[in-house]
Formats: sequence, C-alpha cells, structure tokens
Amino acid sequence: MSKHAIILIALVTLLAGCAGSQQRAIPVVESGGPLTPGAMRDNRARQSAGTAQTAQQPTVTVMPQGESEAVQTYAVPSAPIGGIEVYHADSISSTPSTAAPAPTSPMPIGNQARLAADEQLDGAVLALLTTAKQQQGSGDFNGAASSLERAQRIAPREPQVLYRLAEVRLAQGDAGQAEQLAQRGLSYSNGRPALQAGLWDLIARARAQQGNTSGAQEAQNRARVNL
Amino acid sequence: MTRKSTSRSSKKTANQRKARTSGRWLGLFVKLSIVAVVVLAGVLMYLDAIVQEKFSGKRWTVPAKVYARPLELFAGQKLNKQDFLTELNALGYRNESSAKSSGAVAVNGNTVELHTRGFQFYEGAEPAQALRVSFSGSSVASLALSNGTPLAVARLEPLLVGGLYPAHQEDRILVRLDQVPDLLPQALIAVEDRDFYTHHGVSLKSIARALWVNTSSGSLRQGGSTLTQQLVKNFFLSNERTLTRKVTEALMSLLIEVHYSKAEILEAYLNEVFLGQDGQRAVHGFGLASQYFFSQPLPELKLHQVALLVGMVKGPSYYNPRRQPERALERRNLVIDLLAEQGVVDTEQASHAKKQPLGITTRGSLANTTYPGFVDLVKRQLREDYRDQDLTEEGLRIFTSFDPILQRKAEEALDKTYKQLAGRKEIDKVESAMLVSNPETGEVLALLGSRLPRYAGFNRALDALRPIGSLVKPAIYLTALEQPSQYTLTRYIQDESFSVKSQNGKVWTPQNYDRKEHGTVFLYQGLAQSYNLSTAKLGLEMGVPRVLQTLRKLGVERDWPAYPSMLLGAGSLTPIEVAGMYQTIANGGFNTPLRAIRSVLTAEGEPLGRYPYTVEQRFDAGAIYLTQEAMRRVMTEGTGRSVYNRVPSSVVLAGKTGTSNDSRDSWFAGFGQDLLAVVWMGRDDNGQTPLTGASGALQVWANFMQTAAPSSLNMTPPGNVVMAWVDAYSGLGSAKGCPGAVQMPYIGGSEPLAGESCDKPAYEIAPVESVKSWIRSWLN
Repeated sequence: MSKHAIILIALVTLLAGCAGSQQRAIPVVESGGPLTPGAMRDNRARQSAGTAQTAQQPTVTVMPQGESEAVQTYAVPSAPIGGIEVYHADSISSTPSTAAPAPTSPMPIGNQARLAADEQLDGAVLALLTTAKQQQGSGDFNGAASSLERAQRIAPREPQVLYRLAEVRLAQGDAGQAEQLAQRGLSYSNGRPALQAGLWDLIARARAQQGNTSGAQEAQNRARVNL
Repeated sequence: MTRKSTSRSSKKTANQRKARTSGRWLGLFVKLSIVAVVVLAGVLMYLDAIVQEKFSGKRWTVPAKVYARPLELFAGQKLNKQDFLTELNALGYRNESSAKSSGAVAVNGNTVELHTRGFQFYEGAEPAQALRVSFSGSSVASLALSNGTPLAVARLEPLLVGGLYPAHQEDRILVRLDQVPDLLPQALIAVEDRDFYTHHGVSLKSIARALWVNTSSGSLRQGGSTLTQQLVKNFFLSNERTLTRKVTEALMSLLIEVHYSKAEILEAYLNEVFLGQDGQRAVHGFGLASQYFFSQPLPELKLHQVALLVGMVKGPSYYNPRRQPERALERRNLVIDLLAEQGVVDTEQASHAKKQPLGITTRGSLANTTYPGFVDLVKRQLREDYRDQDLTEEGLRIFTSFDPILQRKAEEALDKTYKQLAGRKEIDKVESAMLVSNPETGEVLALLGSRLPRYAGFNRALDALRPIGSLVKPAIYLTALEQPSQYTLTRYIQDESFSVKSQNGKVWTPQNYDRKEHGTVFLYQGLAQSYNLSTAKLGLEMGVPRVLQTLRKLGVERDWPAYPSMLLGAGSLTPIEVAGMYQTIANGGFNTPLRAIRSVLTAEGEPLGRYPYTVEQRFDAGAIYLTQEAMRRVMTEGTGRSVYNRVPSSVVLAGKTGTSNDSRDSWFAGFGQDLLAVVWMGRDDNGQTPLTGASGALQVWANFMQTAAPSSLNMTPPGNVVMAWVDAYSGLGSAKGCPGAVQMPYIGGSEPLAGESCDKPAYEIAPVESVKSWIRSWLN
C-alpha cells in the first residue's frame, strides 16, 4: 500500500509541476502564508491534517519552525493562554462530514445534475431558489438576483445560494462579481465536493469571460478534480 | 352730421330728451354688459385653463416613502413571539378572536394567526393571505396557511419608517375611490355636503341650510361650502377671506363640475384635504391620515375611525385626537349621530361605534416614530443616484434593510446604559452614536446618530470623525498573522517601554493604559489585553505603511500619514467607517460595502433600481480566522470580558475596545455571526469623558447584544487552519489530555511540533490513510 502512496505522491508532484501558472491558481487570496492551493478543503483532510503534517512538509514552501527560537530567547509569558478547559476540542470532530455522493454525469457536467447531488436546503431557501429560477427563465435577472439575496438573508452561509447568485451575475455580464461570489461560496462548501466542482466550473467560466484563459483552465481543472 | 342732429334735436320735446337720456344709459349698460361678459368670459377661460391644467396633469407631488425590511417568516427563523407581535402592532394589525379579514391577528398561546395585507415588492407581489405561525422558544416552529397547508416562506408588509420631504412639504398616500371603504364618502357627504350629488358646484340650499342649522343649534355645525368649493379652495386659492376669492371659488367650482364627474371630484377631495400637521410635514388626504393616526391602511378602517377622520375635516388642529382627545371624541360621536340620523348607519352600529376608544397610535410607539439617523443615511445613498426632485416629488418607494425591532433594542440599550452611568462626572455631556449591521450581507440594520434617537441634527454615526484608539489594533495583528512563518497567536512578544523617532522628527514614547510593562506575552494577549507597548512594537516590526495597507484593504479610505502614532489609533474615523472595517474581519476577509437600501420602486410599483450585494475577497481566510480568534479572546479573557455579565457565555462573540487619549472617545466594535455593532461615546466639544472603551461603549454594546441575541460566531476553521495542542504556559507543543494543554489554531505548518502524549499511548493513524487524505486535500 505505501508503495502505491509513494507513486501517487510522485505523480501528483509531477502534475503540479506541469500545471504551471501557480500564481494565478490562488484567485484573490492575498496571503503571505504557505498555502497549498485549495489545500484541505474537505473535513476528513482537515481532521487528519495534524497527522499529515510530516507528509506535507516537503511541498509546503515556507514553514520555518520559528516558534522554538522565540521561545528560547525570552522568558515564558507571565499569563497562560486562557481557556485551559479546552475550547476547540469538539468543534472539529463534530463538524458533520456530509460527503455527498459524487454524481455520475460525465464531464463537463450540467449544473443541474451535479447540484442535484447536493441538496441540503430547507424549505424557505428552496422555495426562493425556485422562484429565482423562474424569474431567471423569463429573463428577469434583476428579479432573480433580488430573490436570491432574499434567500441569502435567510441562509447567508448556504453556498448554493451564492452559486446561483454568481450564475445570475454571470448571465448579466458581471463576470468579476460572479467570480467573487463563487469564491465566497467555496469558503462555505467544505464537505460538499459536488458543489465545489460547480463553483470552480463557474469560476472558470467567469474567468474565461474576463479573458483570463489560463486562470479559467486552472479553475476548470479544479472543477474536474473535485469530482 | 353734428349740425344736422343739433338742428333736429332742437325740435325734440322734453320727453324725448328724457327718453334719449335713458336710452343713452341703456346703451352704456348694454355696452358695459358686453364688456363685462367679455371680461367674465376671459376670466372664465383663464380660470378654466387653471382648473383643467391642474386636474388633467399630475395633481400632486408625493415624497418618496422609506420602508423598513419586511419581516420574513419561515420555519426555523430566529424570532421571538413578543417581537413578532410588536411588529404586527406597529403595522396596525387588529387583535381579533379569529383573523378573518386582512390586517387582523389572533393570538392563541404559541400560535399566532394573522391575515396579511399583501404588498408589491421588487421581487414581485406578496399575496394577502391567512397565515398560522407557531413559535417554540425564540424561533418560528412552523409556518402554514390557516387551512393547514404548510408554507415555505412568507413575509409581512414592510413598516413605513419615513419619507423624503423638502422643508414644509405636503405628504400624502394617494388612494383611488374604489379603494376606500364605502362608508368614507358617505360620511363625508353626510357631514360636509349633503347635496353633493345634485348641486352644480355651488349650493344655495346648502348655504341656507347651514345658516339655519347653525343659528338654530347655536353652534357651528355646518359650513355652507360644497365639497367642490372646499376642494377648489385647497387646490387653487389662498386662505384669505375676501369677496373676490369667494367669487373666484364659486366660478371655479362651477367650471370643475362642468368638466369632471362627481367621482373624480370626490377622489381628488379625498386625496387633497388637509388633516394634520406632523412637525414640518403636512398630512394630506385620508390615505396618509389613516396611516398617521391609526397605522392602518384606509380600506381597513371601521365606522368609529372613519367618523373621527371625517369629523377632523372641519378643524384638523382643533380636533387633533392626539392633542385634544376629548374634543375629538365628542366631535367623532357627533358625526356618528349625524350618520345615524341620516340613515347611513343604523342605531345599533352607531351606539357600538360610539363605545369604541379613539384608537390612535401613541407617539413613540414603533408605529409612530421617526428614525432621522437611518433615514439620513438612506437619503445620502439615494442622492448619489437620484435627483432631489425625483426623491421629493415622484412618490418613489424605497426598500431598506432597516430593522425597527433591532433599532428599538439599540435605543433601549443606550438609554439603559446612560441610566447605569448616572452619577459619572458630566455624563450628560457625553453624546453617542451606534450602528448595527449584518456582517454576512453588509446591510445596515439600525442606526443612532445621537443619544436622543429622535434628534434630526448632527448625525454622529456618519459624521463624527474621531480618533479610533485601540480599534485600529486588529489591523496590526492581522498584518502579522498574514505571515504565519513569523507570527502565530502564541508567538512571544515583548511588552516593554521604548521610544522611536518619527519621520516628523518627534520622539514617540507610547505607554500602556495602566502605565505598566507586562514583559513577555503571547501575541494574541497583546490584542486581548490591548497592550499598547507590545502592539506598537509589533506594528513597527511590520512597518507602519504595511499596517496602513491592511487598513485600506479592510475598507478604510483615509490617507493617514505613516506615523508610528497611527499604530495606536491616532487616525480618526466615523462610526460607519469603523463598521465597514470590522465588517471585513467579521465576514471572513470578504469586503462588502455597507448598504442601507435594497431596491427602489416607482409610485406605480415598477422596479426602478436595485442595490445588489457585492463581495470582494481581500484577505486569506486563515489569517482572518486567527485574528477573529484573538478578538474572541478579547471577550473571554481580555478587555471586553464584562460583556459576559450580560450575554450567556455560550454565545461566541469577538470584538475590540477603543479609548482615545485622555478618554475623549470611548469605542467598542464587535460581532457575532449575524450582528455587528459599533458604538462610540464622546463629547461634541471633544472634551474628556469619564469613560473608557470598556466602561462606556462596551456597556451599550453588551446591553444591546443581551436583547438582540446574536448567533454565535461560527468558528469552524477554514481549510488552511489546523488546531494544535499547546502548553498554556509555554506555548510549546503539547498533546490532548496533558495538564495545562489548550487547543490553539495555526495556519497549517506554523503550529509547534506536537508534544509527547501524557496519559495514553500515542496512537497512530495508519500512514497510508494520512497520505491518502493529504493527497485528497491537496487535489482539492
């Protein structure tokens, strides 16, 4: 098994090298941090991230263990870190790992099929998405966007609402905002790979519309990988 | 000729002379009459032109109406029953045993049945429907139609919270004759102009009867003017009492009757008539009067209410039901009697109506309150897109995000805090401002521009530009945490005195608020305890320009000089700018410009404009998460911890106190998941206050959050953040179960090396599984 793993690592590293344009891979994230693009987006990965560190070290570019130096230079802080009673203990393990089943439709996929696998919506939001769909269908994009914002106020962290909103903006020709909305959606779609793929696909289209061909390609790749 | 006639005239008799003289007078009379007719015809044509122009064109200019957010209803919604009923009351819903007609509500334990009125929104029409809402705890358990069919979502009509009037403006809500209750025109005609349908604009009969009634009853019960004449007077003429005016009035009345039907005249009258004065705003027409006095739409008015309004026509200030309730009640009952006399209503209806109270909404209730601070913000945002004239004349409908319930809670929190602070030195001179928004949508929900919520002057929430003190600090820590290879929440930093020479040549020696040094502290503690020395030092390590760059990315659009003193908040911002800056932190690093307006409809309900939600990612989610964590610890172990005296400790909040030099400004800015609030307290003359950020602004904030009940800040770490066990005393890597171990978040890879397990053998996750998951995560 571990042999397979090593081969896999090698393959992936090779692929990463070929992908090129890593700069553009990080959309608007302005971070000095050692981010692997899109790393650890799903819960299982994050849960095991601590233990996966050793494996991760070689690919993470900047990761000095600066901590220990600092510790040695000065006296120990006068006050301990608050909350010794363990604050975050459950916050991770209790995160629902709702791994939606991967849809079976071929690539590139129609949004409907893909998102059908990701229905986690309650009644109010679903009703408003339906209304928005009808409005969009009759060419009333402003009305659709307005209904979707209504849904967003009800469920601000529902990525599917942001997905639809991005879709409407894209249809209205505001590709820049469509991409941003999709990014916001991604930040809420941990554990929903089907939706992530949809969002990346939308980002790819938004980038293509803005003339960012390589960025679009990169996003398209991610849309595939997510499935 | 002359000679001839002279010679002939000499032969005339005296009689003939006499006749000739009278004939001359007659001729003069005829000539004069012709002139008079011509002049009269001219006058009539002139008046006719005036009448027709006014009547055929747009008869009234209507100020834009500003609406609060409509209350949404759906299962699972966070809404307690009491707040819901408060809103219904403000909307003028009547308590009845069963909600049969629109605008009625029936409460039965935790179930509320209501009949909504329906409303035209930007997204489309919301139907009027009978709903059943069940509450459980402080949320909606279920929503259904009254026949039991479950309903996904519904919304109430929005509360009208203001209008955009120029000074001394007439305000009105236009109504069509077919929208008004039948009783209204009947009552109006019965009281003001019994022969309305038979006269031709002027009624001699009416004048005679008025004379008779008034002299015989000894009181001024009836006026002689027809409704048409009253309309003409209001429409075209000044208030002077001259004969010319009276004649003009009569002529114009006749002309109007020639051109227009009785129905048209009546409808114009219903919309034109003056019914009250509200400050600088003149209340015209029954449509607005109904809202102004009863908070109800005109079609819902009952006999006693219609009678009150009709009775007021005669003297809106004399019979003002708010100022002169007894006089108004007497007049109302007189009108009801008159209606019974004339057979418009039967005696039973009349006696029932007479037993009703006036039913006027009280001033200061949710229904009858002004929100000058918020409306000012709306006006400013609208002025960027609309001409003033469009706003004051076109009857636009402005849909905002204003939440009257939260506004009320903010006002109460401020009031309560001043009471708690009573006795502090010169506390009465301390002003306040507050802004509440939803960080997830960027919508402004409530706004206080003064400690006096009804004060319409200086709007401090938008215009008080004051040094922000320690509110600037999160920007420094965020700048640091964006470099995880060098800075983590548990890195050691030194809190000790230092001096630095600024670019402007001055030597800058910051001090802590308690004038002490705190030695080595964990990085997050610098923020949580608001230590100036360690924070300033950290900022200098980063470089002031870099911190200013972070502030710009957070949404602060000020050109501050890169002086070290900026690191401790020497720069000034308005409360709304602070809200914008903190919004970006609260919203995961995504900037959303604050908005107060959602959409604009024309007077006819056609979509006109929309203010869409926009978002832009400005920061890495991980760096923001760590900054939020430090700000969370401000509340649990730092300068903001007194908040949990009021708010349950289970509610996760994050925030920052701010105090400017010599306590001239007391600030607090903080947020839960769905509410962000910024509070400023200080003096208009910039004098010293007896308050710090924690003892002043934070108390308002805490009082507000106690009743507003925000959702816990969602602290699910983003993908690039890992949780690690560290020793609370040293910050070194530790393990679960070890004494003194705490879990802290780090950007993946910057966490300390894990320590040895303390109480159980280290169990290992199969390496293959971990590699697999690493690949999966990497591929995502």
